[in-house]
Amino acid sequence: MTDTAAATGGTPAETGQRPRRRITSLEVFCAVMVVALFFGGPLSRLLDRPGLRTGSTVFVAVCVQALPFLVLGVVLSGLIAAFVPPSLMRRLLPGNQVAAVPVAGLAGLALPGCECASVPVSRRLMQQGVPPAAALTFLLAAPAVNPVVLAATAVAFPGEPRMVLARFLGSLGTAVGMGWLWARFGRLEWIAERARRLSQPRDGVSRWQVFTETARHDLADAGGFLVLGALTSAVLNVLVPASVFTSLSGQLVVGIVVMAVLAVVLALCSEADAFVVASLAVPRTAQLAFLVVGPAIDVKLFALQSGTFGRRFAVRFGPATFVVATACAALVGWVVLS
Amino acid sequence: MRRETQNVLLVLLGGAILKIAINGQYLRYVKPSLQPWLILGGLVTVALATIGIVRDIRAGSGSQDAGAVDAAHDHDHGSRSPWLLLLPVLAIFLVAPPALGADKVARSGDRPAISQPGSSGIRYQELPAGEVPLLTMSETVTRAIWDESGTLNGRQIRLVGFVVRMPDGSMSLARLVIGCCAADAQPVRVRIDGDSLRGYPDDTWLEVRGEVVPGSATEAEAFVPRFTVASAHEVPAPEDPYES
Repeated sequence: MTDTAAATGGTPAETGQRPRRRITSLEVFCAVMVVALFFGGPLSRLLDRPGLRTGSTVFVAVCVQALPFLVLGVVLSGLIAAFVPPSLMRRLLPGNQVAAVPVAGLAGLALPGCECASVPVSRRLMQQGVPPAAALTFLLAAPAVNPVVLAATAVAFPGEPRMVLARFLGSLGTAVGMGWLWARFGRLEWIAERARRLSQPRDGVSRWQVFTETARHDLADAGGFLVLGALTSAVLNVLVPASVFTSLSGQLVVGIVVMAVLAVVLALCSEADAFVVASLAVPRTAQLAFLVVGPAIDVKLFALQSGTFGRRFAVRFGPATFVVATACAALVGWVVLS
Repeated sequence: MRRETQNVLLVLLGGAILKIAINGQYLRYVKPSLQPWLILGGLVTVALATIGIVRDIRAGSGSQDAGAVDAAHDHDHGSRSPWLLLLPVLAIFLVAPPALGADKVARSGDRPAISQPGSSGIRYQELPAGEVPLLTMSETVTRAIWDESGTLNGRQIRLVGFVVRMPDGSMSLARLVIGCCAADAQPVRVRIDGDSLRGYPDDTWLEVRGEVVPGSATEAEAFVPRFTVASAHEVPAPEDPYES
């Protein structure tokens, strides 16, 4: 219901009573647009300062860059909802959760896209009866181990195929590790009810309608959280001082931790992060930490996840992913890169 | 938020993306190869919202049907997150943020300028023939750092970039390199000694003629080469402000 209706506790549409006169979101929206039309000029002059300009450019850039991938994600999610019955999902995946997790991790190879696409898809998989552990493994694996990202990494680190191998192993290890952790310790009630409600076959609703409505709803919902993530990353992008990068050379442990944190706050697209990190004078394993942590968890993904799976889920899953991904990167870096 | 409002917002968002993808403004934010994806993404967004609107209108006052649509799909109500979609819409239509420029470069300070790690064995090709070849900033900086055969030495070249006053007061001519979108922009620049560019304000696009000072891209200088300007004149900003 609209904001005001929620505040007064009334849901008149359900009770069928004629609602009291109240302000709907459509009217609020129109008011905002009118204000924007008349005060747009002064408003944009207010934003006309170097730092704010840089921040707003980064904000729009992240939104614009992510939208096609989010659309891809919600279209896939809609197609799964409409055309892949839960029974088929169950036949494709091993029945045993522990065995299903690595399969889901390797399935990530098949979705070439940024991380924004994988969030709606993995929720849809969950609603089609895929065990949560497997769906979450897919969520973490898809943006990190797909061919596009690995190829970009190879280009950014010419003559160093071990960096590509290390990224693949580190990310797959993170995804599978988190899947198994969830299978062992995860509780279903952490995930918001709306995300784990199994989809039911509906009478009288065509597949086309299921597809368009699912995709439209996912887009409006996830899109809002994506904007929140883009806003956070734009602010941090401007605020993080450049000196952080130059002071790290030669410090392995501090380097790994700082690079992992930077991966979270900068929220770069997984196809571009290798080019950024390749230029930094930090130990190779610290660079690897940036590449493994970034696609698994960052501020943009955290916002998307808490919107999609609920806040109770995100505050547990996000930090756990961060720790597991950092540990995986350190381990793989130690074995493969040294 | 109501379904109707959501749909209107999605139409606006898709429309905003389509607009900048078609009029070229998208080049301020993302790399050129993303254009077809932006157009497709914008079209799908507008289409999904339009289908929703048409369905609502058809169901119209026959609230029976509308109820069925509503109940069949997760309750749209209660979720306030779609409101945030207004921000990029307003930002694109009203503010239209400019491409990144001097502020971003100055903020990046002395971060090493070029991404290719040293494969110093590579032989660089001779510079293109012709009097004064036009090079990209990235190529110039890469050659200045890694090229041991000295293809830049003693050659006049032309560079296009924008003016930056660095925090330490020195002048640079810079470009930004992006891999995906402006969030991952990395500066590449040459340091300009002397007062040849002092007269130009920050973010002025210039084409300069001159020479790279041999051996100036040292680690102590954060691998930023020095450049001696012979002449400079203003040029319009290129359509794609970034190098890739």
